[in-house]
Amino acid sequence: MTRITIGPFNRVEGDLEVRLDVEGGRVMRAEVTAPLYRGFEQILEGRPVLDALVLAPRICGICSVSQSVSAATALRHAMAIEAAPNGLLATNIAHAAENAADHLTHFYIFFMPDFAREAYAPHAWHEAARERFAATRGSASRDALPARARLLETMGIIAGKWPHSLAFQPGGTTRAIDLGSRVRLLSIIAAFRSFLETIVFADTLENVLALTTADELDAWRDGRGGDFAHFLRIADSLSLTDLGRGTGLLMSYGAYEGVDGTLFPRGLFGPSAMIEPLPVKQISEDVSHAWMRDLSTDPAQSSTIPDPDKAEAYSWCKAPRLSGQPIEVGAIARQTVAGQPLITDLVTRNGTNVRSRVVARLIETARLALAMEQWTRALRLSEPFCNASREAPDGSHVGLVEAARGSLGHWMAVRNGKLERYQIIAPTTWNFSPRDSSDVGGPLEQALVGTDVGDAGPRSVAIQHIVRSFDPCMVCTAH
Amino acid sequence: MGAATETFYSVIRRQGITRRSFHKFCSLTATSLGLGPLAASRIANALETKPRVPVIWMHGLECTCCSESFIRSAHPLVKDAVLSMISLDYDDTIMAAAGHQAEAILDETRAKYKGQYILAVEGNPPLNEGGMFCIDGGKPFVEKLKMMAEDASAIIAWGACASWGCVQAAKPNPTQATPIDKVITNKPIIKVPGCPPIAEVMTGVVTFITTFGRLPELDRQGRPKMFYSQRIHDKCYRRPHFDAGQFVEEWDDDAARKGYCLYKMGCKGPTTYNACSTVRWNGGVSFPIQSGHGCIGCSEDGFWDKGSFYDRLTTINQFGIEKNADQVGMVAAGAVGAAIAAHAAVTAVKRLASKRDDAEHRS
Repeated sequence: MTRITIGPFNRVEGDLEVRLDVEGGRVMRAEVTAPLYRGFEQILEGRPVLDALVLAPRICGICSVSQSVSAATALRHAMAIEAAPNGLLATNIAHAAENAADHLTHFYIFFMPDFAREAYAPHAWHEAARERFAATRGSASRDALPARARLLETMGIIAGKWPHSLAFQPGGTTRAIDLGSRVRLLSIIAAFRSFLETIVFADTLENVLALTTADELDAWRDGRGGDFAHFLRIADSLSLTDLGRGTGLLMSYGAYEGVDGTLFPRGLFGPSAMIEPLPVKQISEDVSHAWMRDLSTDPAQSSTIPDPDKAEAYSWCKAPRLSGQPIEVGAIARQTVAGQPLITDLVTRNGTNVRSRVVARLIETARLALAMEQWTRALRLSEPFCNASREAPDGSHVGLVEAARGSLGHWMAVRNGKLERYQIIAPTTWNFSPRDSSDVGGPLEQALVGTDVGDAGPRSVAIQHIVRSFDPCMVCTAH
Repeated sequence: MGAATETFYSVIRRQGITRRSFHKFCSLTATSLGLGPLAASRIANALETKPRVPVIWMHGLECTCCSESFIRSAHPLVKDAVLSMISLDYDDTIMAAAGHQAEAILDETRAKYKGQYILAVEGNPPLNEGGMFCIDGGKPFVEKLKMMAEDASAIIAWGACASWGCVQAAKPNPTQATPIDKVITNKPIIKVPGCPPIAEVMTGVVTFITTFGRLPELDRQGRPKMFYSQRIHDKCYRRPHFDAGQFVEEWDDDAARKGYCLYKMGCKGPTTYNACSTVRWNGGVSFPIQSGHGCIGCSEDGFWDKGSFYDRLTTINQFGIEKNADQVGMVAAGAVGAAIAAHAAVTAVKRLASKRDDAEHRS
């Protein structure tokens, strides 16, 4: 058995290290380390409750709206107020723009450049992949970066600035959208849709979303232009369906709150392969392998205090569990729980894997482009965008939202108008969690076991594909 | 990696950028830096003849918001020109290489361009527990930072983290996150604060340094004067409402819809030096005050520990509607005529204010 260490990882958000025990070219055991910790939960404790709206988004420069919305949702529950319907819509538009932008970043900047590696030179598709997707030099970044920047002008209109926007408040958003701004929003969303339909899919979003089975997707792929079909051809040539299999348990907190519920529902895709209600109270955090002091396992009762000398520990990341089980989160979980036909079919056949995770992100991006357009049209410009805040009485509350990378929760306890405790469980905290006290690894650790790395050792591209297929956000992970 | 004599122009030509686009880039750059019309040809000449300056971009304890801002710059041709100009010989977030290969590039650039490269630092080093709160390639980030700084010609401190510490250094600063000028004391450091800094300010600074081979003029806090010499308040489009005493009292109230001043909602525009109200954000679309929320002063030192972000400033003079134009004019003339003195005074006032906060925290 040999032990190999892979890290620092590039083209992931933040710092990451992975250690693998390899025997006969196969991964027998994996340990995932989040090597960066800043102490946001410690910093938040004792501050005025509203300061969470400024500090929490600064956990992450690419998921900042998700962090804002999570904090604002928890505060809304704490204040026992309703958000103005317009405020919910405006928040959803901005949040969807961030999540769609993150999906594009993942696809074009982080994930696809791996196919331009020299290791793939013998493959017939390599030259085209290199020309299109090579990091910083491929032609795709010249299409994707401006499209992404244009989409994020949405943030300028709704939130003033991004990352780290301030407009998201418990009662809604601070900016009332006027007619001119609505027109600008619609034109940005139309441009985004056109980018998706010409560059990404080479087909209309309606046609893409009408695909319901794996076989239909295969038939659609053949002979099609666009970067999605390009990916599918490479993925099938490399059998990426067999790479990085997940454990099968998927969760979504429900995403994009509206007056009549959420666009994507809350739920658990359990061992029975059925959608079940999500037992939120069964969420716990285990610190047996984290450099953290052992306090309560209930996020509503716990604090985060480093214990850098803990012998068994190997990560700053705690190990969140649902009813004691590790859970995979992300676009694939969200779309499975939402019953999206194509993703449900892919997951039912082959579970979660490198290929289906990427497919789920792009399918979700198509759905978001359509939803953003509807939300923008639904704004009632003469009505309020923000309801008044109130003092938050003592108590414990939680804000559960879906970031691009999966389920994000802020647990806060309020006392005398101050934050008594604050706990954050981010998507990659779930996906890249270390082992728990039963020695069960997190979703990535389990997905890596059994991978064939051959003679490549630390240079194995398969490992890079598996890690990036989860689209980790390491700065959110241990915050 | 290119030879040491490679020019920026040859790099961008290889990227397939036309000469016409190159000249457009030069004139827009001159304008955005506030330089005169002749500067465009000077920039073009410099980029055609001087060797390309390599840039190493490192990430410490941070959230990547500075990179995120940078790659969305509306600066002319940023996607082609600036990215290829600085080439980002090494950048954790977007580069092609990984792991040990990436570390090798770092060593190679350091040796080959000794004393010539620019070190751009995003984030800062945490010093508690021997630096183990930010381990990069098996070593504490602070070691890698010191090593790379040793052979750099100058250092760019991106954002509030590298410049001042930022929210991760907020009380109780669990990891002892430390601004880089406390760790590196023997190199010129240009601070580009903000959380994050404005994209066009970042690309403007990089373009200036790589074009002219020197740092732009800095103020006494180490910030480029061309972008940080005015307060948000000085160029705020809501300023007339401040002067007229017309204020928002609650989010999205009638006054908010009329675009009144956000001072009473805790806006820190009057004490914050940055270019948000002129350059604006997300492609010049807007900035926080335009979204109906006050400024939190994210480019100022210590903005994270000055009481609630929603408390109103009590340390500035306010022009009430009862004041006559002569009185208002005198105060305004004083402020404009002695911008530096005013800044010093504001800073002194803020220092006093933070001392008071400290006292409150202890009590």
